[in-house]
Amino acid sequence: MRTLEPVAGAVIEADALTMRYGSTVTALDQLTVTVQPGVTGLVGANGAGKSTLIKILLGLLRPTAGRAAVLGLDCAADGFEIRTMTGYMPEHDCLPPDVTATELVTHLGRMSGLPATAARERAADSLRHVGLYEERYRQIGTYSTGMKQRVKLAQALAGDPRLLLLDEPTNGLDPAGRNQMLELIARIGAEFGISIMVASHLLGEIEQICDHLVAIDGGRLLRADSVSSITQASQVLFVEVDEGLPELMAELTRRGLKPVGYQRGLLVEVDDQKTYDLIRDAVADLGLPLTRMVRRRHRIEELFRADPAMIEMTGAASVR
Amino acid sequence: MSADTAGVQPAAVSSASGVIHDIGYRKYAGQRLGRAQIVRALAVQSLRSAFGIGRGAKAKIFPVLLFVLMCLPAVVSIAAMALHPGQGRLFSYDTYQQALRPLVLLVFVSLQAPNLVSADLRYHTLPLYFARPISRMDYPIAKLAGFTTACLAMIEIPLLILWVGTVSQVHGASAVWHETRALGPGLLYGLAWSLLLASIGLALASSTGKRVFSICAVAVPLFVTWILATVLSHIGLQTFQPAAGGEPPALASLAGLMNPFTVMNGVADWFGSGTKVFYARTGGPGPAPGPGPGGGPGPGGALHVELVNLVGHYGPLYGVMFLIMLTLAIGGLFLRYRKVGVA
Repeated sequence: MRTLEPVAGAVIEADALTMRYGSTVTALDQLTVTVQPGVTGLVGANGAGKSTLIKILLGLLRPTAGRAAVLGLDCAADGFEIRTMTGYMPEHDCLPPDVTATELVTHLGRMSGLPATAARERAADSLRHVGLYEERYRQIGTYSTGMKQRVKLAQALAGDPRLLLLDEPTNGLDPAGRNQMLELIARIGAEFGISIMVASHLLGEIEQICDHLVAIDGGRLLRADSVSSITQASQVLFVEVDEGLPELMAELTRRGLKPVGYQRGLLVEVDDQKTYDLIRDAVADLGLPLTRMVRRRHRIEELFRADPAMIEMTGAASVR
Repeated sequence: MSADTAGVQPAAVSSASGVIHDIGYRKYAGQRLGRAQIVRALAVQSLRSAFGIGRGAKAKIFPVLLFVLMCLPAVVSIAAMALHPGQGRLFSYDTYQQALRPLVLLVFVSLQAPNLVSADLRYHTLPLYFARPISRMDYPIAKLAGFTTACLAMIEIPLLILWVGTVSQVHGASAVWHETRALGPGLLYGLAWSLLLASIGLALASSTGKRVFSICAVAVPLFVTWILATVLSHIGLQTFQPAAGGEPPALASLAGLMNPFTVMNGVADWFGSGTKVFYARTGGPGPAPGPGPGGGPGPGGALHVELVNLVGHYGPLYGVMFLIMLTLAIGGLFLRYRKVGVA
C-alpha cells in the first residue's frame, strides 16, 4: 500500500521517440516534444500517430527508439507507476452494456488500486462530475452515445489521476454533445487540477479548451506551441470567385499576400484587418464576381497545408 | 465521506429547485493497492461472476441449479446412512459420482467460462484493464485463479458436505480418522480437476467474443471427445476376453487420453481409486466385486463378474496427459492475451 506524491515539472516528455511496426509502417518518427501542466491538445489527422503515442506513454507499447517520460517517470521502466497516476479514455467503444455505470466505474476504480470503499465513493463522485446522477444505476446498454462517452471519462477519473489521456473524446457526438464534453474537459482541467492531453483530429474543436497544442503528422512533430500563437498565425480566408482565379491569384501576390490554390478558390493567410481590405480591393479592381469570402473552420490537415510556413516545415507531408 | 477524501473546492450552487451543494472535486489521499492486491480483487470479482453474484437473478439460475445437482449424491449418501444404520458411505471422495461430476462440470464450465472472458473481448473492455497498474498477463492469471476457485467450490463443497454428514454418523475416533484420511486425496484430486477444467474452459472460451460461439467452443470439444473416448473404450472392451488378472485391450485403455474427464478418471485409476469396469460374462464363479455403483454378486453364480482396471498399465500415461493438457490450456490462454490488442 502506498500513496501518490505530487509531481512537479513537465507532464510529458518525448525525446526522439520512434515507433515502427515491422519494417514498413512508421507510426512515430523522431518525435521530440515537452508538454507542460494544463490542457494540451494533441492534433493530427487519423493515422498521424496520436494513439500510438498515448500507448507508449501508458507503457503499453515499447518504442523502437528514443525515450518518453510521464510525470517524471520513464515509460519503458515505470509503466505501473505511470498507470497508477494516469487516467485513459480510449477512442473506441469499450463499455459492457449489461452492467450499470456505478458497477463498472467502481470495479475499474478497484483495478486502479482503490480499496473497495474508496472505489465506491469515487465512482459515485466521478459519475456525478460527468453529469450522471440517477442514470448511473441503469445498465449502460440503455445509454445514449453522449452518456457512454461520459462514463468513459468517469472511469478515467475514478482513480484520481494526475494526468488524463483522452483519445478523441468527442467521437460520435452531435454538436450539442460535443460542446458539453468539451466544457466538461475544460472544467476538469481548470477546477480539478488535473493535467489533460486531448487527442483529436479536429483542431477547430479542441483549440477552444486547450492551453497548448501539439500538432503531429506522419508521426513527426509539426508544431508545439501555445494555442494563441498557433491560431493567430493560422487564420485563413477562403476566397471563391466565379471566374478569373489565376488573375486574382496574381493580383493578390502582387499586393504582398501569399494566396494558395485550394479546391475551386484561394486560401489567404490573414495578417491583420488590412488583409480583408486588400482582397476586397483586388477583387473590385479586377471586376471579378466574388462568390464568397469566409473564415475557414479549418481541419488540421488543411490548416497545415494552407499555411505557407507549415508547408515549408512539413515538406513531403503536404504533397499528398 | 471517508477520512481518505478531503474537500478541495467547496461551493454551493443554487438552482430553481433548491440548493445543490457542489462539494467540488475531491482528491484521493488514501492508500493504494499494489499490483498483487489488484489482481486478487479481479480474481474475486471473476469468482463472483462465475456464480452470477453481483448480476441479476437470471444469472444465478444455472450455477445454483448445477451446484444443487452436484450436492445431491452427498445428500443421498447421508440420508441412506441415516435410514440404514450400518450402511457405509455411497460415494468415494475421489471420483464422487462418476457420471454426474463430468456432466455437471461440462455444463458449468461451458456456461460460465464465457461469462468471465468473452464479454471483455466482445465489448473491447480490455484496454481499460491494460491502462491500469497491472501487467497484461495479470488479467488471465486473475481470471484463471477466480475460475479455478469456482470449479473447486463446485467439486469440493459437495465433498465436504459428504464428509461432514458421514463423520457425524460414524462412531469412534478411528472411524472419523479413516474418513478424514480418505477425504484428503479427494480434495487434492478435486484441485487437479478444477485447475484442468478452468484452464481448458477459459482458453477455449476466450477464443471468441461472441457468447454463443464461446459456449460452443467450450462445450463441443469437451462433449465430443468425451463421447468418442467412451465409445472407443467400449468398442475396445467388446473384444476383451480376460483371463483372470488380464489387462484390457490397448484401445480401451488409451481411448480415455483424448478427453479431460476421462484423463482425470484415468489419473484416479492410476492411483488405484478410479474407474473399474465391471466386466460380466457367463461362466465359472468369479470374485465378488467391491463397493461401487452397480456392484453386487452376479445372479445365480452363472455370471462371472470381474473388476478390471480400465487404464491397465497405462496409468502413468494419464498423469503425463494431465500435465500436457494443463500446460497447453494455460499456455494457450496466456498466448491469447499476449496477442489481444492493447487499445
